[in-house]
Amino acid sequence: MLLEIDRETGEPKLLRVVAADDAGNLINPLIVEGQIHGGLAQGIGQAMIEEAVYNEDGQLLTGSFMDYALPRATDFPMFEMHSTCTPTPVNPLGAKGVGEAGTLGSTPAVVCAAVDALSEFGVKHIDMMLRPEKLWRIIQGKGGAA
Amino acid sequence: MIPTAFEYHRAKSVDDALEAMAASGGNGKFVAGGHSLVPLMKLRLSEPGTLIDIARIPELAGIREAGGQIEIGAATVHHAVATSTLLQDRCPVVSEAAATIGDTQVRNRGTIGGSLAHADPSADMPAVMQALDAEIQLQGAKGTRTVKAVDFFQGLFTVDLQPGEIITAVRFAPVKTAAYKKLYQKASHYAIVGIAAALDVKNGKIQSARIGLTGATTHAVRLSKLEQALAGQATTAEAIDKATAAAGTGVEDVNADIHASAEYRRAMVGVFAKRAVLAAAARA
Repeated sequence: MLLEIDRETGEPKLLRVVAADDAGNLINPLIVEGQIHGGLAQGIGQAMIEEAVYNEDGQLLTGSFMDYALPRATDFPMFEMHSTCTPTPVNPLGAKGVGEAGTLGSTPAVVCAAVDALSEFGVKHIDMMLRPEKLWRIIQGKGGAA
Repeated sequence: MIPTAFEYHRAKSVDDALEAMAASGGNGKFVAGGHSLVPLMKLRLSEPGTLIDIARIPELAGIREAGGQIEIGAATVHHAVATSTLLQDRCPVVSEAAATIGDTQVRNRGTIGGSLAHADPSADMPAVMQALDAEIQLQGAKGTRTVKAVDFFQGLFTVDLQPGEIITAVRFAPVKTAAYKKLYQKASHYAIVGIAAALDVKNGKIQSARIGLTGATTHAVRLSKLEQALAGQATTAEAIDKATAAAGTGVEDVNADIHASAEYRRAMVGVFAKRAVLAAAARA
C-alpha cells in the first residue's frame, strides 16, 4: 500500500495498492480477481472508514449509511494484481480458497502504511480506524499514537 | 421503516400546491426530492396527513439568466445544477458545490429548494447562497416575498419560511471568482466543514470578499471577520494563508459529533477557508 496523509486535514489517501496472492491453479481467473478486489475493498474499508460507534449506553450511533461509511469505487486507486501459482496437493484441482485472501492482508497493510507515513512524528503504532481527526491530532502533537 | 398512512397530491402549479396545503388542515407537507422528509417519515418523526408533491411543477424548474442575474427554480435537481453550462461558465461555484452533494442517486432527486428549506447544518448550498448574497423567493397564500439568504437561515433546521409558504427560486448576480471547498463526511458526503468564497478581484488584489460557512455551527453563516481580513489582500498564497489562518477562532458554538470534535472543526474552518479563497482567486 502506498498512502499519503494530508498534513493540514489528516485525511489519508491511497495512492497505490499492490496485491499478490497464490490461489494455486486458477479455475476461473476472472472470479479469483473479483474476489480479491472485493476482499481488498472490505479490508481497506475496515481500516479506514467502516467504524461502528456506540455511546456509553450501548446505543449504536452509526445505525445507517448516513453515518456508517462503506467504501466506494472512488475511494480506491486501480488495484495492481499479481499472482504466483503453487498448486495444492490435497485436492485434484490444485486450487485453493481465495474468498478472504484480499481482506486479511489489506487491513494491517493500510495501517502500517499510515504508521510509516507518520514516522517523522515518532509514531510506531496507531489503532484502527484511520480517522482524519485522529491523524490530524498526531500531526499536531495532540496525542493518539504510540 | 413504514410511514403512517398519508394522502398524496401531485401539484400542477404553485397555486395548486398552495390550495392543497390550505385544504390539508394544517397537516400537509411539501415534498420535492424527499431525501430529508421521507427518512423522517419512515422513523415516524414526521407524520404528515397529506404529501403535496411539488417536484414536477413546470414553473419551479430550470436555470435561466435574466437582467444580469441567474435564477434557479426551486425544484431543479442538484445534477442539473452541477452540469449546467450556464452556471459552469458564469458562476462555477454553484455547479462545483452541487457536484459534491451526496452521490449520483441523491443528485438526481434532491433539489436546491429542498436543501435550502430543510437547512441541514451540514448542507452545502446554504453556504454557497450566502457567499453569493443570493435572494430566496417565496410564495404563500398571502403572495410573494423575497428574503436575503443571509437572513433566511436562522438556526438548526430553522429558516424564515412561514407555514404554507414554499421557495419558488433563488436568484443571484453571478460571480466567476468564487469557489467551494469542503471536508467530506465519508458516509453521507455532507460537509463536516464547507466554505464558499466569493471574491471581487482587481489588479491582483482582493477588493472585497464574501465567505459562507456550513457544517461547523447550527446553521450556515457568513464569516464577516474573515471577509474584513481578506479585503485589500494580494491574491498570493502567502497573503491568503496569513489572512485565513485564524478564521476558525471567532466561530462560536462549534458543532461536535461522532465524525469530528469542535476543536477539529474549528481548525478545519481555517484550512478550508484558505483553500476556497485560493481556488476563487485562481479564477480571476
